[in-house]
Amino acid sequence: MRVRPLAVVLPATTEEVAAAVRVARRHGVPIVPRGAGTGLSGGALPVADGIVIGLARMNRVLAVDFENRRMRVQAGVINLDVSRAIAAAGYYYAPDPSSQSVCSIGGNIAENSGGAHCLKYGFTVNHVVAATVVLSDGEVVELGDATVDPLGYDLMAALVGSEGLIGIVTEAVVRILRMPELTRTFFATFPSTDEAGTCVSKIVAAGIVPAAVEMMDALAIEAIVKATHVDWPLDVGAALLMDVDGTSAEVEHTAAAAIEIAKRAGAIEVRMPQNDAERALMWKGRKSAFAAMGRISPNYYVQDGVIPRSQISRVLREIAELSAREGLRVANVFHAGDGNLHPLVLYDARIPGQEALAEHMGGEILRICVRYGGSITGEHGVGADKAIYMGDLFTDADLETMNYVRCAFDPARAFNPGKVFPTPRLCGDIPGAYAPHASETAGVAGRG
Amino acid sequence: MRRTQARPPAWPDAVEVSTASFPGTQVGTIFTPGDLYEAAELMRSAAELDQTVAFAGGGTKLGFGYPPQQVDVLVKTERLARIVDYAASDMVVEAEAGITLAALQSKLASHQQRLALDAPNPDRATLGGLVATNSFGPRRARYGSLRDLIVGVSLIRADGSRVRGGGKVVKNVAGFDLPKIAVGSLGTLGMIATVTLRLHPVPETSLGVRIAACTIGEVQTLVRDLIAQQLEPAALIAARWRGAYALVVLFEGFAAGVSEQAERFSQLATQLGLRPERIQDPKLTESIDEAARAYGNVRLRIAVPPGALEKLEHEALSVLAAALDDAKAVVYPTLGIAFFSGYADARTDWAQAVLQARAAVEALRGNLVLLDVHDATFAEKVDVYGTLPPSFPLMRRLKDRFDPAHRLNRGRFLGGL
Repeated sequence: MRVRPLAVVLPATTEEVAAAVRVARRHGVPIVPRGAGTGLSGGALPVADGIVIGLARMNRVLAVDFENRRMRVQAGVINLDVSRAIAAAGYYYAPDPSSQSVCSIGGNIAENSGGAHCLKYGFTVNHVVAATVVLSDGEVVELGDATVDPLGYDLMAALVGSEGLIGIVTEAVVRILRMPELTRTFFATFPSTDEAGTCVSKIVAAGIVPAAVEMMDALAIEAIVKATHVDWPLDVGAALLMDVDGTSAEVEHTAAAAIEIAKRAGAIEVRMPQNDAERALMWKGRKSAFAAMGRISPNYYVQDGVIPRSQISRVLREIAELSAREGLRVANVFHAGDGNLHPLVLYDARIPGQEALAEHMGGEILRICVRYGGSITGEHGVGADKAIYMGDLFTDADLETMNYVRCAFDPARAFNPGKVFPTPRLCGDIPGAYAPHASETAGVAGRG
Repeated sequence: MRRTQARPPAWPDAVEVSTASFPGTQVGTIFTPGDLYEAAELMRSAAELDQTVAFAGGGTKLGFGYPPQQVDVLVKTERLARIVDYAASDMVVEAEAGITLAALQSKLASHQQRLALDAPNPDRATLGGLVATNSFGPRRARYGSLRDLIVGVSLIRADGSRVRGGGKVVKNVAGFDLPKIAVGSLGTLGMIATVTLRLHPVPETSLGVRIAACTIGEVQTLVRDLIAQQLEPAALIAARWRGAYALVVLFEGFAAGVSEQAERFSQLATQLGLRPERIQDPKLTESIDEAARAYGNVRLRIAVPPGALEKLEHEALSVLAAALDDAKAVVYPTLGIAFFSGYADARTDWAQAVLQARAAVEALRGNLVLLDVHDATFAEKVDVYGTLPPSFPLMRRLKDRFDPAHRLNRGRFLGGL
């Protein structure tokens, strides 16, 4: 995953992005857009004969509109800086990927980023309402508008999650939310991931929609404790970290109900933070989980698969069997509320063959997810890494149809070639498009 | 308020699907496939014969968009009404396009679950039609529209191929988002065959607070206040009648939270000098909504930025009410959406009023759409959609890729797509 591009362009304005695109196109050079480069599927990986257009310099907040609960930002603005700019007024931007202190809004749009709290609040696609986009011919167009229902096809739905294949976002209008009145957090430990998985299902079955439910297994807990010094017990099989938020009476009720369910599901211990600092520490532990793996393994391979929530226990057992069979440890830390697994395959790159084995196991995990009716990616995207698995999930006709969307925006496929689609697809001419003959237009002849 | 002597009948909420269902366009042949294989076969055969195709579910939205230019084949989805897969513990359901919203909800209710969509006419409106027209009700304020609820779709393409996008899990970013692209596409990109949706628990209880008389300015203030107070209503609906508004705010959830929120909202209203009353009727918002939306023979949907409610009233709704008989409107204040209905009055130039209102709405960066057109002459007087968005050339290119010969619902969508 290391490629040296022909050139890197760092524009400061939409016009400069458009100019760079036009120059590249004139010379037939492919273009890879790049945000902060934090993606985990190689979506912003350069191509050797192409240019990279980095949006890092476009990092200004342009307008805050509390009346309409909207904010206009440039694509290079860091996710957390959006919330920081409006926190004093009691507002925030909901999507919160674990990399939110470094990843950019433009990259979030490309990947349709999620995060722990998208269980209740939805993904980037639910929170970005309009965007200024540079198309592959250098034209600048505004998608979406100031209303909840723009006219025509939902091109924002095409744009968000398109992984840099259809246009370069330079500015975006995002929804901002009033902070919830109250958030209750609790941390519960269990003998194994079976009980923890059952607990999640029962909480949801009780009609509770938590803001977030995160699960960590024993290996993940060990790494987090070593890296962040949280005082979590090491002799447990799994832990859940959960937020419920909303209005005060509702939250007090649901938090109490959820804790009761956890106890009945076999929780060893339930802890509630006594203040904001303790709560922040619990979440810091969870959000630094990937980086913490360095404490227990020289290298790790992070996977991102989705399964139906009710299958968590079964799938984790299959992953454990795979781990035992292949001989590499797998730590699990993930968004349990929506079945979004992040198995971390631990390996040592210095030992010949282990890297390839880790990658192989990552692929096997994805196949397990697909077999249980899930998906090959919940939030990290397909990028360069998972294009080969798209055929496990979709038929050739499905992929051809998705390619229609790409070709409508970028018929020359100048943007981000080699990503998402498993095999190069041409756009071709539109077969048999209906165009009236000149004689028809003149009223000399008709059809039928 | 004027009354014309011979008022024309209100447009129907639903029409019987027949060869005469579309205003001004005679349908060639109607087919009612019994399963999705038959439907795909039918689409393939239409492609081979270069026939134009339209779709009908419960007949509640056949007046949407421009009248189709030509319909050789009309596909009725009423026999495609199966629940394909209902994973109650995962709160996800996949159903065929022809199932009615009411039939689906009744199945889900047995597991204390629901699709959080309170679109009008649930006994007739079908899932496919709801997706195609992006239909919604006042609970959109809390739960979003179908765009926020759909997680998967299968389409039968113009060439007869069956394809799908999305999946059966709520969180999924594999491939382009065909499910959301299908929402609001009016059957112009493919036949919607099945839809997969995320579900919500049926709330333990609900409680409404009604303010029988207030102004639009007071509605705007109350919305601002309840957001500042961090209240989380499930639905808000302001019903307009003769220039005055009645506001209903509905809270849903667990009993303790609902009654606390209703109390706090009532206090906000009282502080403004208004008289809030509590109403225990979970169907309350639906009944207000339907009373105003299934009405009249001129029906409009207006979308503006949600902070522009006063301008919406003074520059659009009051202008329309002055030119149309017995006008009613409902405003969804947190969304900036209004549905307006009234009777075309022979003595005033209603079309001129619609154009004036549209100009004002477009100046607010909003849009005004003519709905339910059951008389082809209406669409000649007032364009259905108004000014095309700057991204329209991209929309045309999207349509050209999905349906190169423009055979699906020809001419019915924005810009004649």
